[in-house]
Amino acid sequence: MRKLIRPVRAKLLAAKKNTGGASEASAEKTKDNTDRDKTSSFLSEDLSSNLARIKEIFQNCSDIIYRQFLFAQREDIRLVLIYADGLADKLQVSEQIMRALSLEVPMAAPEADITKAGAYHLIKERGLCVHQIKETDRLEDVIEAVLSGDTVLLVEGHPFAFINGMRGWEARPVSESENEMVVRGPRESFVETLRTNTALLRRKTRSSDLKLEMMQLGRITKTDVAVVYLKGIANDKLVEEVKSRLQGIELDSVLESGYVEEMIQDNTWSPFPQMNHTEKPDRLAARLLEGRVGIMVDGTPIVLTVPTVFIEFMHSAEDYYERFQIGTVVRIIRFLSMFLSLVMPSFYIAIITFHQEMLPTALLLSLAAQREAVPFPAFVETLLMELTFEILREAGIRLPRQVGQAVSIVGALIVGEAAVRAGLVAPATVIVVAFTGISSFVYFYSASFAIRLLRFPMIVLSATLGLYGLISVLIIIVVHLCALRSFGTPYLSPVAPVSLGDMKDLVVRAPWWAMFTRPRLIGWKNLKRQEPDQKPVPPETRTGEKGGGGDTGKQ
Amino acid sequence: MTRKAVSLLLILLTLVCLSGCWSRREMSELAIVMGAGVDRTPENRIRLTLQLARPAAFGGGAETGGAGAAERQNITWVVSETGDTIFEAERNLALKISRRIYWAHNIILVFGAEAAKSGVGNYVDFFMRDPMSRENIWVLVTRGEAKELLESHSELEKTSAQSIGFVERNKAGLAVIFKDFAMALASRGSNPALPAVELQKLGEPQGSGMEEEKQHEEVVMTGTGVFKDEYLVGWLDTSETRGLLWLRGEINKGIITVPSPGRPDKLLSINVARARTRVEPEYDGENIGFNITITIDGELLEQQSGEDLTIPEKVEEIEAAAAMDVIRKCTATLEKAQGEYGVDIFNFGEAFHRKYKRDWKELKYQWNDAFAGAQINIYAEAHLRRTGLLTRPATVKK
Repeated sequence: MRKLIRPVRAKLLAAKKNTGGASEASAEKTKDNTDRDKTSSFLSEDLSSNLARIKEIFQNCSDIIYRQFLFAQREDIRLVLIYADGLADKLQVSEQIMRALSLEVPMAAPEADITKAGAYHLIKERGLCVHQIKETDRLEDVIEAVLSGDTVLLVEGHPFAFINGMRGWEARPVSESENEMVVRGPRESFVETLRTNTALLRRKTRSSDLKLEMMQLGRITKTDVAVVYLKGIANDKLVEEVKSRLQGIELDSVLESGYVEEMIQDNTWSPFPQMNHTEKPDRLAARLLEGRVGIMVDGTPIVLTVPTVFIEFMHSAEDYYERFQIGTVVRIIRFLSMFLSLVMPSFYIAIITFHQEMLPTALLLSLAAQREAVPFPAFVETLLMELTFEILREAGIRLPRQVGQAVSIVGALIVGEAAVRAGLVAPATVIVVAFTGISSFVYFYSASFAIRLLRFPMIVLSATLGLYGLISVLIIIVVHLCALRSFGTPYLSPVAPVSLGDMKDLVVRAPWWAMFTRPRLIGWKNLKRQEPDQKPVPPETRTGEKGGGGDTGKQ
Repeated sequence: MTRKAVSLLLILLTLVCLSGCWSRREMSELAIVMGAGVDRTPENRIRLTLQLARPAAFGGGAETGGAGAAERQNITWVVSETGDTIFEAERNLALKISRRIYWAHNIILVFGAEAAKSGVGNYVDFFMRDPMSRENIWVLVTRGEAKELLESHSELEKTSAQSIGFVERNKAGLAVIFKDFAMALASRGSNPALPAVELQKLGEPQGSGMEEEKQHEEVVMTGTGVFKDEYLVGWLDTSETRGLLWLRGEINKGIITVPSPGRPDKLLSINVARARTRVEPEYDGENIGFNITITIDGELLEQQSGEDLTIPEKVEEIEAAAAMDVIRKCTATLEKAQGEYGVDIFNFGEAFHRKYKRDWKELKYQWNDAFAGAQINIYAEAHLRRTGLLTRPATVKK
């Protein structure tokens, strides 16, 4: 755990800083070159020249609005408002800035005070009715502010600009999560606006330890990215590593957190996702509380969390909200269906083409009867059906809502009924494929993709080598999983390496009073979650004991 | 990393060469053997008869429920071929059958009487040597021809082979799996005994369209075939078979019927819940003796008379009668085995071997003769533990 940065990567980073830094520097230089002429300069006192420079930069940007008006009806003090149409809150801009400055200031302030020289001070202190103001004297700040939705106010005769935080664009409201369903638990999910998302998270964890470190990624998109963690719980080295990996990203665009994920994950070639993601604030908060670090990307409701271990994908938020017995049983079902969705079709093929002796006689006869009419070998048949299922599934996601029903009917009828009736596939194959398909939806979607993918080599090997092939693929998968790391944490922990203390939250979900430590390999910095011995005790037992020890052994 | 992966792949590749049967076979390429029969032809050749399943007729999948039982297709296909060895006969059959003969699901192996009399040693080797054939198939001997037996069908089960298999699995009679049969053949201390089966008219098929059907012949168990070494020497009837099972300690379930105490014309039946047989050999250098102790735990399940059987004296009387009944059956079997056939089919030789290892070395060569002259004492002890759901029978009070 101490070696958070793996040697190879550390070396690479070092190399980048020392020698390879040249390319980085040159890239920066070219960036600077393009920008310097236009923006890297200070504002001047001349309003019209400022305006001209800004207009030049925003050439052909039809959504940028320049609104010139007078401060307190004085012809000599001209003001210009610049904002991007649609990003700024128009109503507030006209009410709180224009109306306030042009009409209300003269009413509030004596005529004598309103001078060209004092205008700037007057606007700042008495004129603007805006909750958040920044001042700048740099042109590029102005440009950036306009692009991120703020409203910029330029004042005649002053080389400064006000940046008014009046963002207000059309955004999807916070709605129920569609991908991570729960029966019991909060419904809300993240939206596309980063600020809304941080607010949702802050609502869950009302702690000053919740840190949100902002950075911008994407040379063109300039996407805001927030690294969120709980100070004192998350390992500092982990936070540093996350930040340094993020800073290493040099993409021109970051449109979704998937861009970030692929740039910072440990093993690109593995089909298994090494970063978990969620769109639910409660899950993010829960993971932060375990010592993980979250990466929020503006423009997407999907928040990444690292480090990730494989068993996380078998867990659901609801496990922790429902009674622990339910959580445990449901997890067992998930593990089982994960295994089945990986192995079932290959096992079926291996058994019916290699190891018929393993079947009970009655089952063999009934399977043989089904296969009698089928013209294909079991392998081809299963592969075809698996492909069909994958196509149907993909169609189900992509197709427009209106035709959804048609496709599902056609899919169910043709695949389930007609194919069997026509004697093209055996009913048992349909059952196996359908069961496999259904069970791959039980656990986390992005992990199910890895399993879906691995199913096919497994099918091929079982069809050529029988159970031996199946087992070989399983061994390879396990070896691969053992070798995987996610930000320094072994992917299979707490199973390999074994961490007995973490078994409370593996297949079994222990009751909350028993989970008084955080996961050892992730939250080791601040292991203690809560006081132990908090098991609820009925009053009559409690009175008999000193201090309510919590042990109900003698009831 | 790469080196590790490559070496792992190499290890896996070497394993490919080590695996045994790895050729794939589609299910529809198999001729699944349900039962096999061995007969001896008058020309002294081996005739192998196979009962093959016809999956097409099993009606799995969509067509179930369509055609009723009225138009039943032949669910099995029984084929025979002769050869000088079992394997030769099998190969001769394979030449004529479109699919590969698949032995792994064989349920029964039946010896025809003629084949058994001429010695089964010629036939068993193939079934042990062939990797596909299982060791837990049921072995049977029939008084007639194995071919006829396999040609029958079962009313309840899909095939007659399965039907016999289920009967055997119930362990109501003698049940011998191939492994035990082969062991008994190989052992000097015991001789094989196989359940005897034959075709009997049994019941009548009911329902529409069935009126004209002939009365149906079903395979039933009718006793035991007694072997001396590898030769069939005679038969035991069902009652003697019970004695054989008692002496072998293979009684799992069964009933003992004894007269009611004080009312000899009325009977009562005891269900055997648990039974144990202990064989204690004795040898003084000259005389061989066996003390057999049979302990029976039973419960009363039927009573014809109206007496109150909760009285301890009466219970004791019943227990004594039950013990006597068992002893009587055992004695009858023993007499036949010792006197008429002169074979030890009770595994007593093995018990003797375990106790007198040194003497066994001399005795084992003529064990059957030694057994025939052995003094065998049978003690039986029955316990009536329960009386079912009733304590007193529901009879009219007089």
